[in-house]
Parts: sequence; structure tokens; C-alpha cells
Amino acid sequence: MSGIAGRASRPRRRGASALPLALTGLAVAAVALLVLPLVGLFLRTPWSRLAALLAEDRVHQALRLSLVSSLAALALCTVLGVPLAWVLARRQFPGKRLLRALCLLPMVLPPVVGGVALLVAFGRRGFVGQPVEQLTGITLPFTTAGVVLAEAFVALPFLVVTVEAGLRAMDRRYEDAAATLGASRATTFRRVTLPLIGPSLAAGMALCWARALGEFGATITFAGNRAGRTQTMPLAVYLELERDLGVALLLSLVLLFASVAVLVTVRAGSFTSP
Amino acid sequence: MTLEARIRLRLGTLDLDVAFDVAGGEVVAVLGPNGAGKTTVLRALAGLVPLDAGHVRLDGRTVEDAAAAIREPAEQRAVGVVFQDYLLFPHLSARDNVAFGLRARGLAKPAARRRAEEWLARVHLGGAAGAKPSALSGGQAQRVALARALATDPALLLLDEPLSALDVEARLSIRRELRVHLDAFDGPCVLVTHDPLEAVTLADRLVILEAGRVTQSGSIREVTSRPRSPWVARLVGLNLYRGRAHGHTVALDTGGALTTAAAAMGEVFLVVHPHAVALHRSRPEGSARNVWCGPVESAEANGDRVHVRVGGPIPVVAEVTPAGAADLRLAAGGDVWVSVKATEVDPYPA
Repeated sequence: MSGIAGRASRPRRRGASALPLALTGLAVAAVALLVLPLVGLFLRTPWSRLAALLAEDRVHQALRLSLVSSLAALALCTVLGVPLAWVLARRQFPGKRLLRALCLLPMVLPPVVGGVALLVAFGRRGFVGQPVEQLTGITLPFTTAGVVLAEAFVALPFLVVTVEAGLRAMDRRYEDAAATLGASRATTFRRVTLPLIGPSLAAGMALCWARALGEFGATITFAGNRAGRTQTMPLAVYLELERDLGVALLLSLVLLFASVAVLVTVRAGSFTSP
Repeated sequence: MTLEARIRLRLGTLDLDVAFDVAGGEVVAVLGPNGAGKTTVLRALAGLVPLDAGHVRLDGRTVEDAAAAIREPAEQRAVGVVFQDYLLFPHLSARDNVAFGLRARGLAKPAARRRAEEWLARVHLGGAAGAKPSALSGGQAQRVALARALATDPALLLLDEPLSALDVEARLSIRRELRVHLDAFDGPCVLVTHDPLEAVTLADRLVILEAGRVTQSGSIREVTSRPRSPWVARLVGLNLYRGRAHGHTVALDTGGALTTAAAAMGEVFLVVHPHAVALHRSRPEGSARNVWCGPVESAEANGDRVHVRVGGPIPVVAEVTPAGAADLRLAAGGDVWVSVKATEVDPYPA
């Protein structure tokens, strides 16, 4: 009996040790795929020229424009996205699933397609852009405002998804407690709901900002590539690859550090969420 | 100050239909098994769930009336609630939790904080005003929750299982303290609980809620001595039967009959205290009027007594001494003879 059991279990044991080995090997390959490019970035960065490059006007311009436009996009997304997340999390109405799918579409849509869509809607002859320009004189495409719009378009869903998840996970009885204490809906939202979803909001804002900062496809399609006005860092990186690899590497490094900072924020947020 | 509650509503599988009144300064415990709808009663009173029918009146003022389409939202009712796990706002200090209701009612921040600190001192938490809820013990959190509910000077106080989140040791001292604060509160107070000890130690009157219906209400003495549902009878450890009385004989609904010393007519409940039930190995000779025979189903030690459950035509729990249990040779199984004197069978109208 024991002999049969021994023979039967041996191949199984060998299979069990071969599988982890194969999986580990593939995992190592995955890490290499993810990390080697970053190592390359560090190795090729012209550290000695760093100070000189940072002083260059076109680097400054791209940095400043990226910062301003991504923060403006973040503000726009927060003002619009938190209410949208609240509606999706708390209100019941027909077509809600469809609406959610539509709102999240830019997450999976190729950004270039987003740019084209923005152009035909908000362009000078678009069905929204034309009346807006006639009424207000504001032109969106190929302006910094256009950059903000393009960035907000692709980044908004990240904030909405994260905040909606936070609102759903939140214990709503805290809102009941606030109501019994005499707090109006608005007071409850401001003093109870928002602080309670704080970690989710922070994570959503960080993801949203990172997406806006790195936006390339929709921006170049809708807003073009004009230095100082619409040429954000990712666009500058692409352009400088042809002109000065050092500048491209330096700007890439800045974007990399921004991404790492966002990652840290999101992780911290998810660890401290209630 | 009085509360008049007529609550009818459906929520999921719960079908709630209850009516009760609470006088000012009175504490009423809504006691019932889990899932009976106790928390929903509180939420309806607080205005967090709308009524399908019925009304809620506070001091004669109608705060909700389904028929008249009157419904004050929760934030406009002067109702203080201590929630089951307190629900202290985790991002606010104990002081700001207590001040929350005062601020929401328009008091300026410094004044609200001062009042909050007075309340915290009153519940012996003056030193913990700056602490976040996560740094408070269960007992401290309970006191902050009570202070938060009372600070707004509510016309009605509601408590949902106020002690169930505490460990056994904290429960005793907090219960005593809570009783003092409830005595000091001059409005009507409703607390819901599944714990009979919590109910009888904190409340003046009981309302028994089972499956959305009030099965019994009255003083603690009435409810515990004359239960009107099997759940209450089990809770207070009495044998309860229901039947039709004709003079001194009661025909039980479940079959069989019992003889009573007091004469009665019509539908009655009968209670028999377990210590009044005698068990014998052979048919007893004595004068007991009620004698029957049944199989022993279980026996468990309870303090210095043994509770023996006997099945058969009239199921009964008997309380015997360990020596008595030994004489009965319970381990041998088989049937035992049960005898109950007619004077120990207490009938009351159903």
C-alpha cells in the first residue's frame, strides 16, 4: 500500500517543484521588462550637463507649461469628477450603467482617438467649439486651454472611478449620524463624507494628475505642439529625441520622479483608508 | 414630554407594525431577538427610514404622519441617537465629535467647543477631549457617543444596543453610569437591545418585539412573571403553555391538559416555574394533581442547579439539585415521571 502511495506521490512532487521554478523564471523576465528600460534611462542621463540643461529655456517652458496645465486639469477634474462620482455611487436612475461605461471610456480609448473626437466637438468648426467661439471669443484647439481640456478628458475617469469606489466602500451610517445631529446634506457632505473618503480622493487626484501630466496623444492631436503654449513635457521629450537626446532624457527623468511620487501617494492612501 | 409611535413599514423581508408610547423621563427597552426589526424602529423614530403608514408624535407635535404626508427629515427632528457601534466620526477629536451637533445647529466654533468640553467632563472624559476615536477604549467611545447625542438637548433619546460593543468588564461600570445619565434625561428614551440583562437594568418598561410585531409590553415585573411568547418564556426561564380553560382544567393547544388551583375561562397562558416541577423515577404517590411521563431530552448544569428538559406530551424544563439529578440516574435515559402541583400552575388571560 505504502509503495503505491509513494510512487504515486513522487511525480506529483516533482511537478510541484518544477512549476514554481518556471513561474519564478517568467516573473524574473517580467521584472526585467519593467525595470531594464528605467535602468537605461538612468545610465544614459547626462548627469554632468544636468545643471546646464535645467537652465535651458525650452526645458523651463515645457516644465512650467506641464505643471500649470496638469494642475489646471486636476482642478477641473476634481470640481467635476467628485460630483459625478457621487451621482454614480449614490443616485439610482435608468441608464446609470450605460452612463458609467461612457464616463469611463476615455480610460481605454486610444488617446489619439480622444484628440480627434475633441477636435470635431470643440474645434473651431466643431458643434460645440463654433458657438462657444462666437459667443465668448475663446478658441480651444491649439491653445493652453485646449491642453487642459485634452488632459482633463483622459484623466477625469481615473478620479471618478477611485472616488466612486471610496464612496461605495464608506459606511453610510456616518452620514445618518450626522443627520441626526442636525447637519444638512451639504454640511454632512463637507464635514463627514469628504473627510471619510479623503484617502480615496487623494489617490484619485494623484492618479488623475499623473495621467494629465503624461498625456501625449490627445494633446498633440487637439492642441498641437507649440513651444510655450501647448508643448508639454511629453511632447517636448518626443521632439527633443531628434534634437538633443540629453534634454529628452532629462525631461523623462523628471516625469519618472513625478510618477514615483504619485505611486507613493496612492499606496499611502490605500494603506490608511478606513 | 412624550413619544407616541405608530410605525408600519416594510423594508426588505421585514414587515414592521408596532405601536407604543413613552412618557417623559421614562426609559423603554425594545427587546427582541436578532432580525426582529429593533434597529429599524429606531431608524424610523430618528427619521432615517420613512413610514409606510402611521405617525410619530413628540410632545403632541407630529414629526411624521404618513397619511398627512408630513415628514420632518432626520436633521430637523430634535432626536439624539447613540448608534450601535457609536459611529464617532473618525477624523474628528472627541471634543469635535460632541461639538458637531452644536455647530450644525449654528453655534459658533468656540462656544460649541466649550459646551462639548462641559459634556465630556460630565461623562468623566474631560482629559480625553483632544483624542481621536481610534485612541479611545470602547467604554470611552460609548461615553463620547452619549455626550454627542445629549449635547444637542434632544427631545427624544434613542440608543441602539448601547453596551453590546463593550467587553464584559467595561459593560458593568458603563451600565451603571449610563443608568445615571438616563435618569437625568427628562425626555422619553427608547433603547433597543437583544440582551435581557441590559433591558431590565436600564429600562423602566419593556416592549417585546418579535418578527416585526409587539408580542408583549409592560413593566419588567409583568413581562418576566407572565410571558406571552415562547421567546420571552425561554429568556426568563419559565415553562409557558397556551390553552383553553374551563374551570380548573386547561386543555393545552399542543395536546394534554393541566389542572390549575385558580379557576379560569377561555384562552389562557399558563406558566410553571422550573423549580416547581418535580421529577421521579417511578410514578409518584403524592397529592400533585398534574402527573405525566416523558423522555429525558437533555440535562445541563446551571450554577448549583441542573436543568432537565423532558419531552413527551407536555414538554417541560425542571430545575433539580445535582443530588436529585443523581437519584434520577439521568444517564440511564428512558422516561421519567413529572409532577406539578395545581397551585404552581399560574393561568392568565391570553
